[in-house]
Amino acid sequence: MGIAWRGAELRLLVPILLVAPLGFIVTNIALTGTLAAGPLGLALGYGVVILVVHVVLVLARHRGDQLLLPAAWVTGAIGLVALNRLPQDLAGTSALGFDLGMAATQLLWFGIGAVAMLVIAIGLRDDGLLRHYKYSWAAIGIGLLLATMLFGYEVNGARLWINLGPVGFQPGELLKIVLVIFIAGYLAETRTVLASARMRIGFLSIPPLPYLLPMLALFGIVMLVVVRLNDLGTALLFFGTFLTMLFVATGRRSYVLIGLILFVAGSFVAYELFDHVAARIDVWLDPFADPLGAGYQQVRALYALGRGGLFGQGLGQGLVTLGGSTTIPYVHTDFIFTAIAEELGLIGSLALLAFVAVIVFRGLRIAALARDDFSALLATGLTVSLGLQALIIVGGNTKLFPLTGITLPFVSYGGSSILVSFIMLGLLLSISHRSVVEEGAPS
Amino acid sequence: MIATNVRRLALYLMLSFFLVSGSLTWWQVVQARSLATRPDNPEVIAARRALLRGTIFDATGQPLATSSLVDGLSLRAYADPAFTHVIGYSSHRFGATGLESAFEDLLVGRADTNPIRDWIGDVLARQPQPRDLSLTIDRRLQDFAAAQLGPDAGAIVALDPMTGAVLAMVSSPTFDANPLAGDPADAQAPMDALRNDPGDPLLPRARHGVYVPGSILKVFTGAAALDAGVITPTTTFPDQPRQEIEGMLVDGFLITEHDLGGITPQLWSLSEALQVSSNIFFAHVGLALGQDEFLSYARRFGFCAPGIIGPADRALSFASSLVTEAVAGDCGSFSDNAELASAAFGQGATLVTPVQMALVAATIAGGGVMPAPFVVRDVREHAADHVRSDTVLETFNSGGGRRIVSSDVASAMRSGMLDAVNGELGRLFAGQADITLYGITDARSAGKTGTAQLGGDRPPHSWFIGFAPAQEGGTPAIAIAVIVESGGSGAGRAAPIAGRIMAEWIRISR
Repeated sequence: MGIAWRGAELRLLVPILLVAPLGFIVTNIALTGTLAAGPLGLALGYGVVILVVHVVLVLARHRGDQLLLPAAWVTGAIGLVALNRLPQDLAGTSALGFDLGMAATQLLWFGIGAVAMLVIAIGLRDDGLLRHYKYSWAAIGIGLLLATMLFGYEVNGARLWINLGPVGFQPGELLKIVLVIFIAGYLAETRTVLASARMRIGFLSIPPLPYLLPMLALFGIVMLVVVRLNDLGTALLFFGTFLTMLFVATGRRSYVLIGLILFVAGSFVAYELFDHVAARIDVWLDPFADPLGAGYQQVRALYALGRGGLFGQGLGQGLVTLGGSTTIPYVHTDFIFTAIAEELGLIGSLALLAFVAVIVFRGLRIAALARDDFSALLATGLTVSLGLQALIIVGGNTKLFPLTGITLPFVSYGGSSILVSFIMLGLLLSISHRSVVEEGAPS
Repeated sequence: MIATNVRRLALYLMLSFFLVSGSLTWWQVVQARSLATRPDNPEVIAARRALLRGTIFDATGQPLATSSLVDGLSLRAYADPAFTHVIGYSSHRFGATGLESAFEDLLVGRADTNPIRDWIGDVLARQPQPRDLSLTIDRRLQDFAAAQLGPDAGAIVALDPMTGAVLAMVSSPTFDANPLAGDPADAQAPMDALRNDPGDPLLPRARHGVYVPGSILKVFTGAAALDAGVITPTTTFPDQPRQEIEGMLVDGFLITEHDLGGITPQLWSLSEALQVSSNIFFAHVGLALGQDEFLSYARRFGFCAPGIIGPADRALSFASSLVTEAVAGDCGSFSDNAELASAAFGQGATLVTPVQMALVAATIAGGGVMPAPFVVRDVREHAADHVRSDTVLETFNSGGGRRIVSSDVASAMRSGMLDAVNGELGRLFAGQADITLYGITDARSAGKTGTAQLGGDRPPHSWFIGFAPAQEGGTPAIAIAVIVESGGSGAGRAAPIAGRIMAEWIRISR
């Protein structure tokens, strides 16, 4: 095959490369009245990452999807502009004698993520490694969780972090991928049996137990551990991803229905058993009952959304500060979407949501065009994991669901989140590439 | 097959994205204004520090709450502590309460009386225009009423029974709100002192103080029974004279009469029973009425649900309950006839608030129609120097009355309450509420005392509800409820206070 110029991708990268620096400049001028070198450096660095990735893919004759990356880059650019706008001492690293601010650290992770993505997108020529060792992947996943339970330390009440030398790492993020690989492998093998269920209880058909049990067992362990670690957002994400993959593998709505019933029943039990779950539900139902206490985060997020209005306060002109700190808590991670919605308004927040939707629908397109069941299920799982994560956190910010602390992919500050999101993109690109090359699917 | 399922999944995910988009639109556009004006919004709190608030005047144009800018900080000053529990306070540290909270958006100019002007203001990013308020309360009457209670704990609510306009609303003890409204750095200590005060000065007793009603509830019981047709003004109960002495056995519980002060029990009808405040008579009335009718009338009188003092969209709330073990949103029920009979004369498991009882008096005064109470008369343009502007932007009127009992029933109760103050027997108990004692000789007052037994060694609450002018052909100008906590008998403490205030209002309004 000849060289693939990836022209569509390039045409979409041009406006990003032109507009993203403008975002940094406008924000910087609005905030300080001057134009500093730092934000320009960020813009330049980000542009270099985007272009290098594009050129490497072209040189590697990669024929993977051409809309996926532009959508991810524009989402990331909005996030980086927002992070650069926030107080830089909220997070950051100092390494090799350099003190990197929050946005610079995030850019560094974008670079690391891009490398990981390229390695996977180009290097993974065959999915046997993923497909045949699914139980090993499951074991690795459980190992990660156990390690977190044993050696992890708590941040904000959730025990999610492991210390790896100078950097903290969230194994739960990596677990997302490992679990999706296992489920995809298992479902690809057993989906025909699962789909032709014979057992019925009432109006619900039940999959044959011997085939479902290993998966349910593993899943039960994961859910238990996650609830034990007090990370409800991740639990919800895993469960939703699992149900969706089950649905795509079998085409049975009843499985999803059973899953939802189990979830509601489980939530009810959790509500009765665990105080912290009950407290969260109560806050969700009426955050204004205790606006300075339990409802604080939700109420502050809603105020920020309201301040944004239709057109927003303008970049660098929103985010009222009281006593030197912004009124939105965790503004660089869980609530970055509300900060963006405040400065860019409904127009901006819907646009950001639309870019995430583009990633999701391109991912599903890759799944639909995939050359085999495993790849299709893997692509579905990865995509849904990204999409649900965005829906859960944005839905939580807007009080559609109870608020849970998870990141917005490509936008929230956080190395683990960025790295894992890029690994997912890499896997998607690799699946897409193989389906184009081997089946002649449209690229 | 998988590809088909993926397409179906795409549809569901698209719906989810639409759902989240809808949720975003809801908060960012539909709810944006109401979020922006919530008093606990940190932006509102920050902006308020520099925002001039409108002046609040009494009914005659006397400034009660004024704002001034000191070094860019907007400071609120309150002229009269007697109004604290009506106006509330606006504090940079503790937020706003009372009317300061209910009218927050208008006072600081974040909303206007006219939604179209609101919208234009938003588009033009106009500077907020503070608005001024006039109350229905005349400062002279409010101060007079507050002085009657003095340092004693209690509450007074006076209404115009025809319109529902609040004429006075006193909660005692009150407090000076100026330290809370002043420099936020100095506000914590005074607030702590108020919170730790055993006298509970922060409680707005007129609206949220719940008290055993005692005999003033007989006005309700009588009106309900007359309206239901189970008694007439001439109905008597043959066993009553004997039971006044021996007691009345209901479901194994012996109901006894209070000290009649040497009056020989006779066969009494409604008027005499109100005059001597016969518990036995009203126990019979309650049993004749029955639990279901009793509670159904309680609901009609608004006893079983929280109420508001208007205007409706910027209202002050008041608590309301009749049966202590009330279920949410309703009156609950009596466990047996002994409880019903006790409730019928205002003891047992009953609790009321002063606003509620003033509304009961206003209902009888108003010919059976209960007025919707309101405390803000109008919204005006803000004028400098704390002078009331003549430009009225919006006027509030009575929200309209609700017919509770027929005018015949109200007329019979009016006559009974007139006797309770002026009659041969009634004078011995409630004579101190007679306005002729306080210089109004061409009109008569009507009413009912209450001596609410609290059990144990605590002295009873002293109650009076009534209205004036109450004579045949007179138009009532004021309906009133007075309670003095642990003030002893209704006759001794609350009745003269009510008499003086009713006389004072007739004097002022002439």
